[in-house]
Amino acid sequence: MNEIFAIAIATVIAWLNFVIIDTFMGLPEVPGVKGADIVGYSIKKRGGDLAGGFFQGNILCSPDASAGTLLASIGVMLLGIEGGIIAAFLVFIGNRLCADAGYAGTIGALSMTVIVVLFSYIGFTPEMFIVGMVIAITTIQGIHHPSSTTLLGNIAKLMNRYTKLD
Amino acid sequence: MIVHLNETYLLNYLIAIATSIIIAIGLKMPILPEKPRRFSWTNSAIFPTPIIAIGLLAICFSINFLWIYNGMVLAIIMGLVSALFVKYLFYHVFPNPPEVKEEVNE
Repeated sequence: MNEIFAIAIATVIAWLNFVIIDTFMGLPEVPGVKGADIVGYSIKKRGGDLAGGFFQGNILCSPDASAGTLLASIGVMLLGIEGGIIAAFLVFIGNRLCADAGYAGTIGALSMTVIVVLFSYIGFTPEMFIVGMVIAITTIQGIHHPSSTTLLGNIAKLMNRYTKLD
Repeated sequence: MIVHLNETYLLNYLIAIATSIIIAIGLKMPILPEKPRRFSWTNSAIFPTPIIAIGLLAICFSINFLWIYNGMVLAIIMGLVSALFVKYLFYHVFPNPPEVKEEVNE
């Protein structure tokens, strides 16, 4: 029972980590690559929000803070802090190969490494954050695109990162 | 399971970060990317030079390769290597920044 409760908390932390960093780094503002553009307009056509669609397209097309969060948790599970730092380094390489400047992914991976290490002192294991991140990304990408993009669009408006395209 | 912090490793990461930033500034790289920073592709002393330095150092530490002085010399070398790499080799290895996109969607 405790484990399920911890996974729920880990999910919320992982969700906030990647959504806040990705939004702050401007993912909802412009589609970085052609694929993100297509995803954004396709979601808008199905009743979603354009900025949220760009967000989804961008995290789909290059490893941003979502991938950084997941890979850092896996890295810390395997190798400790070294694993988290290697994850940030590999995410940066992946970013540059995917036509992305790499700020969001790298910062997301490093911040998640710090979070996983700190939370390990109060009983959270890196595995819980891996499960939490998979659940978190499912809520964004896997359940209902129009409602998840509307939420992402509202967060983008709150953080002054809403797209100027239409 | 507590993820243990190794003070020697942490000190070495800080040395690698400091060395890479100082050498990058010495090589006349900009300290910060130009504004708006989140869309900037300029390689600067703050990003991505230290990331490459600590990434390479973490790979060495993860296979228990510390070399002399508990890894301190390795940290300085990685800082130097990453600054030189970002300054001179980066765009031979990674693709150039994409052109500014002005496509209008249909």
